[in-house]
Amino acid sequence: MKVKKMEAEVVDAELVLPNYLSFKRIQMYDKYPKGQSRGRHWKHLKQIIQAENYQNYPPDEPNYVNIESPPSMHPCKRICDITGYEAPYYDPKTNLRYANTDVFKMIRSLPNESVQRYLGMRNAAVVLK
Amino acid sequence: MAELLFETYGVPSIAFGVDAAFSYKYNQQRSVCDKDGLAMCPGFATTHVIPFVDGEPIYKGSCRTNIGGFHVTDYFQRLLSLKYPYHMARFTWEKVEDLKMEHCYVAQDYVSEARLFLKGAKEAEEKTKMWQLPWVPPPVEEPPSEEEIARKAAIREKQGQRLREMAEAKRSSKINELENELRGLEFLLNQLGHVQESDVRSFLAETGYVSRQEVESARSKVVQSLRKQKGEQTEIEKPDAASNEKYTLINIPDDMLTAEQLVEKRKQLSIKSMSDGRQRLKQKRYEEELERERKQQLEEERRLENPELYLEQLRAKYKDLSEKIDQRKRLKTNGGSSTNGNGNSLTGSVGRGERLSAAQRERMRLLTTAAFDRGKGEDTFGAKDEDWQLYKLMSKDNDDDDDEPDEDNTELARISSRLQDLDPTFVPKVESSSQPAEAPRIRPLTKEDFQIVFGVERFRCPEILFSPNWIGVDQVGLDEMAGVSMRRLSCKDEKLEQRMTNSILVTGGSSLFPGIIERLEAGIRMIRPCGSPIKIVRALDPVMDAWRGASAYASAPGFHTQTFTRMDYYEKGEDWLRSYQLKYSL
Repeated sequence: MKVKKMEAEVVDAELVLPNYLSFKRIQMYDKYPKGQSRGRHWKHLKQIIQAENYQNYPPDEPNYVNIESPPSMHPCKRICDITGYEAPYYDPKTNLRYANTDVFKMIRSLPNESVQRYLGMRNAAVVLK
Repeated sequence: MAELLFETYGVPSIAFGVDAAFSYKYNQQRSVCDKDGLAMCPGFATTHVIPFVDGEPIYKGSCRTNIGGFHVTDYFQRLLSLKYPYHMARFTWEKVEDLKMEHCYVAQDYVSEARLFLKGAKEAEEKTKMWQLPWVPPPVEEPPSEEEIARKAAIREKQGQRLREMAEAKRSSKINELENELRGLEFLLNQLGHVQESDVRSFLAETGYVSRQEVESARSKVVQSLRKQKGEQTEIEKPDAASNEKYTLINIPDDMLTAEQLVEKRKQLSIKSMSDGRQRLKQKRYEEELERERKQQLEEERRLENPELYLEQLRAKYKDLSEKIDQRKRLKTNGGSSTNGNGNSLTGSVGRGERLSAAQRERMRLLTTAAFDRGKGEDTFGAKDEDWQLYKLMSKDNDDDDDEPDEDNTELARISSRLQDLDPTFVPKVESSSQPAEAPRIRPLTKEDFQIVFGVERFRCPEILFSPNWIGVDQVGLDEMAGVSMRRLSCKDEKLEQRMTNSILVTGGSSLFPGIIERLEAGIRMIRPCGSPIKIVRALDPVMDAWRGASAYASAPGFHTQTFTRMDYYEKGEDWLRSYQLKYSL
């Protein structure tokens, strides 16, 4: 297979990987004879976990899935979404937590987009699919 | 992974190990920790806790939380972007990471630190850092001094004077011209008087006028403009009298006129109607003026006879009107903004009835009835012309809303001005701050607007390592993980547990936050029985120790016993690889 020679400037710029890497046994052009590999499909974590089939193995053996931490037993400390102080109150209309009345006034004047982004930090945003 | 290494890179033999374990072994060799201990490794994307017994990690007792430095930076970035939306472009990922590494710390107790900041105590002030963004103040215009003002006034005076002189000169030259023209025309008329009728045409051919009337009308025009230039009053009667002559043809019935005379007559009719209309308008305006005067007179009389009552009535009217306007405005903006909000949020449903105003509900109703009025299944909207009337109806509804407030507004303005004149205690009701968010933008930007303040965020962001709930990750935090890990180990030997808590190593990049060791100690003390020995140390180099440990391991003489080669991999297959475990103590 004919290997295209890259110009010196392109090689020096180090923007693109060179065609031939001396430490590799199988080069890219051997693996992908039809030019660039279109869409390098990295597997998602969920796919990898599913492919591993951990349920087929005895559950005592530690594997990726079963060493995950359990949910917390301590009561969760609630803090104000906006300022970070303690927040004993929450606003039923927007679902945000706030610490005092000044923050509350600010919350009521926020545009909806900001409200959703604050909630999104807590993973509590309204997501419509 | 093994495949890749063997096939593509031709590696002779491989040994796989866990980074936290390598780091622990390295530190153990340096006597930082003992052979029984706990390795806590908050990393970039995850946090691991692995117990060590006799120098070997027990993976059964390990646990992993999916929170790491990445989440801390991400949280920090989001907080800053929401707090300073104006400067959002400044908070790039790399910059925020730098800020995190430089300024974030772990508070010993989150709640008390937060209270410090809430009270605004002096320590809180000291702990607050400010980042000043580059900002150039706009050039300040100094109020002109007295001399400046005087000078400018003098210049303006001079200019005004010059303009006036020019206007004068122009006017006088124009007057001269007109007078000359007048003289010429009068001379012509005189001559015409001497000339006989039949010779008029030939005589006038030189001058460009066709008949005597033309000459006379030209002369009268010149006289008029002369008079105007000289500033005399133009008599109103004159045009009327002149135009009355022109309307000669109107009264003659049509059939007696020739074609061109008919055209003339039509022209005269239109001119007459226009001037009539103008007259009528003037008359009406005059009458309105009179009416207004009369009303004012009445008001004055009423006021004079009973000032108190009058003021009361006026104030009441003002209040009513302003309330009505406010309500309408609120309705409109509420209806408008809530539908806008609905549009912005990802819901497609505009049919949330309780939020729409009456007008919008009406529109909805019209649209839906139009859609469903047709026969089932077929959409024939638009086939009949009456269908399009729908849109007229809808837009008319909106128009009604727009016209009414204007009258009310003018009425309101009138009443408020009267009140201001009469009542010394009256304060005109200021436009309620319906858009408080807009107001701060109007005043000029100051230096403070370009300052980013890090106060609570400094210790709020690393706190998520201890409370992943704040991110929405429902798992244990760093201090609880130690307890979970030891519970999973389920060793009955209390002495072992004590030995373990006596040698806790904290490694990994996210362990570089100042204050994390003390906080961990406090947290672990909470979950261990009272009085048990707790000793927590940070690794010598939390970031690089894993590499150093692996490198030391690979250069040990016994390394080759732990590796597997390509032949092993092919012979023994995948399953063997699964149960492959590195022995860390060589």
